[in-house]
Amino acid sequence: MDVGFIGLGLMGRPMALNLIKAGQRVHVWSRRRESMQPLLDAGAGDCASAAEVARQASITISMVADAPDVEQVTLGADGIADGASAGHIHIDMSTIAPAAAQSIAARLAARGIIALDAPVSGGEPGAIAGTLTIMVGGDADACARVQPLFAAMGKSITRIGEAGAGQVAKACNQIITGVGVASVAEALNFAARSGVDGARVREALLGGFAYSRILENHGQRMLARNFKPGFKAWMHQKDVRIVMDEAHRLGLALPMTAATMQLFNAMAGSGLGEDDSVAMLELFERMSGGAGE
Amino acid sequence: MKIGFIGLGVMGEPMARHLRAAGHDLALWARRPESAAALVAEGVPLCATPAELAAHSEVVITIVTASADVEALAFGPNGLAAGFVPGAIHVDMSTIAPATARALAARYAERGIGWVDAPVSGGGRGARDATLAIMAGAEDETLARVRPLFEVLGKRIVHIGPPGAGQVAKACNQMIMVSTIQACAEAVRLANAHGVDVAAVRQALMGGSAGSKVLEVMGAKMVERDFAAGIEARLHHKDFAILMDEAAKLGAPLPVAAQVWQQLNALMGAGWGRDDTASLLRVLEP
Repeated sequence: MDVGFIGLGLMGRPMALNLIKAGQRVHVWSRRRESMQPLLDAGAGDCASAAEVARQASITISMVADAPDVEQVTLGADGIADGASAGHIHIDMSTIAPAAAQSIAARLAARGIIALDAPVSGGEPGAIAGTLTIMVGGDADACARVQPLFAAMGKSITRIGEAGAGQVAKACNQIITGVGVASVAEALNFAARSGVDGARVREALLGGFAYSRILENHGQRMLARNFKPGFKAWMHQKDVRIVMDEAHRLGLALPMTAATMQLFNAMAGSGLGEDDSVAMLELFERMSGGAGE
Repeated sequence: MKIGFIGLGVMGEPMARHLRAAGHDLALWARRPESAAALVAEGVPLCATPAELAAHSEVVITIVTASADVEALAFGPNGLAAGFVPGAIHVDMSTIAPATARALAARYAERGIGWVDAPVSGGGRGARDATLAIMAGAEDETLARVRPLFEVLGKRIVHIGPPGAGQVAKACNQMIMVSTIQACAEAVRLANAHGVDVAAVRQALMGGSAGSKVLEVMGAKMVERDFAAGIEARLHHKDFAILMDEAAKLGAPLPVAAQVWQQLNALMGAGWGRDDTASLLRVLEP
């Protein structure tokens, strides 16, 4: 299958490489040419614009930062819509607001393009290992047709519902992971300041009802003080802001997420924004008079 | 002074009347002409477009709902910018995002037109009694020219800083005020839960360190269970979205305001957006 891929960052690059490994013919374009090089080295086709990517492929994938970037590569000048022929499928795997995903899907539909929103969870390790969780919104037939592509990038693939539904699921994911990182960091800081070995606490808790992937993975990185991203705190902040904006629009109280967003604000404002979310531990240490030891 | 006025709502209409009573030469534009009917009947001219109003005015005052409304009035089709002559001043007394105020000021400056963001605090009563607190963001010389107008409308006029700074002060005002309304609502809820006379509690507290304007005005409404709008809660809800969004961009943690925002969301979800913000009490009575 000829597949276009736009957005070759921390997540996009390994995802595109996995498509090549699975035998797909991948065509790439990037604003920053140097980010294309690893893909070109692996045999991807070199395109001069998003429109050209769409001309080379019947399916395109975007993995970019935010809604305006998705609009730009799909509907902007020399965008995918300018190159795509009727029946083209565009899969946006970025994390953006559900309402934005619906709006983009409607405008692409008006130009004969089928849009799927398919945000992912699993971070860079999941992207490299091809074990991402993929949450899909949009047409069921189109979703079935691109299944082989999803299978090359992810392990758990679920169609949630119509356009935007994938982004709603991703927002739910960000609520749980955002609040989860904060609660694990809070617990480990509490343990340390109580004079107890956090590693033993984590070990014990992994066997009980407080078990979670976040306690397991993120907790481990907190204890190792490994704050290298992974998933940068400012990206997590952006995703939580999307959730809070939706809550505002819907007239919905999300008190836990609201508190967590303020912690991400504090990270961004105190120089921790470029670190992984797990650096929230460091924020709590600063807020409570320094590290425990 | 020849003054154009746009936004004849609960706040705007009494403000326009004070300016007229002070002897200024007033003209109007209204998106819904019926909102201007009372003043037009008294002989105040109504223009066909914001541009026409601007062409007739040395200063145009706007007091409308949202950032997008002010942008459209200023630079939309037939907007104020199309009518202003260089040296004219747009005074926006709405509550909008500081970033929008800064952007509009910069666009006007390119055309030699002045800008003042001058949001107010004091509510409908403050507007009627001409006792508003006015927080101005403007260049010194621009503010000096419109200060006499502000003195007709308010009592406390403070020049906070350059364009946008007035809106920053207003955001701080909204954060303190609505957070205090929430605190008062929780106190009323607690006193009620104990079965204690809340009117007596409020009266006692007014004399001590917990006394505040909010406890006086909104506290009384909660005690009376009078939820008819002074200021509609949906406007505070809108203001919170602006200030929380700016806080996220700036990396400023506002944990209490974040919780108050969620209570406002719940209030909106319950359908009380056009009632008074004292309805935060009702959110605590699910």
